[in-house]
Amino acid sequence: MAHLMKNLKVPPNSTSREEARKRTFDFFRLACRSIPNIMEIYNLDDVVTPSQLRSTVASEIRKNAHVTNPKVIDMLLFKGMEELKNFVDHAKQRHHVIGQYVVGRKGLVQDLGPKDEGISNFLKNFYSSNYS
Amino acid sequence: MASSALRSSILRRIRIPVSQTLTLNGSTKLGSVRFMSSHDDHLDKEEVTARVLDVVKSFPKVDPAKVTPDVHFQKDLGLDSLDTVEVVMALEEEFKLEIPDKEADKIDSCPLAIEYVYNHPMAG
Repeated sequence: MAHLMKNLKVPPNSTSREEARKRTFDFFRLACRSIPNIMEIYNLDDVVTPSQLRSTVASEIRKNAHVTNPKVIDMLLFKGMEELKNFVDHAKQRHHVIGQYVVGRKGLVQDLGPKDEGISNFLKNFYSSNYS
Repeated sequence: MASSALRSSILRRIRIPVSQTLTLNGSTKLGSVRFMSSHDDHLDKEEVTARVLDVVKSFPKVDPAKVTPDVHFQKDLGLDSLDTVEVVMALEEEFKLEIPDKEADKIDSCPLAIEYVYNHPMAG
């Protein structure tokens, strides 16, 4: 899994749900092991702890827990890997990390609840911020 | 030439008394502690247990009152598989280890975690 970070390319499809599940855990471990590095690059020691970031990553993964199609899981993993690589390569800026993963859960990123389903697209776009 | 002459003249005057070093190494006060050695600073079992339990207790979804040295993460603490991986990663961070994936998969309870960390030569 670690070589994917250096040279990001699409891995062969998972053959079963079990394999996709294993890849998810591998990805989570890789992300967790990158956290100290990311904290260092973006100077995050005074805003967040490694364990908070770990929980955030876990909750991002858990958001997609209902997905059962291995191909979809592969696609989501690829997107996650891409995102992780962007952070590790310093392709993002500090406010991206803080906005999406530190204050994101409470403030800037809003998951639309069931009560918001009736509102117009204009309002949905208005309420949701750039971080999504 | 000048430096070698200087060296030999210095070495002739600087002597470490043999008896002193012998008592230093052999004295009971220092015991078998080998300074600058990476072999003897191994963690003892109580310390490993306490630190593992601290890590598990500090996990947000865990009720600290339920944590004892022989709980199973999923059966007793109600964690799921992703939480288990998260706990194992927290342990890696705490003890400055890198647990290989195959072995990390097997760690699913406090006794196994304590056992693994205690037997790991690099745990610190």
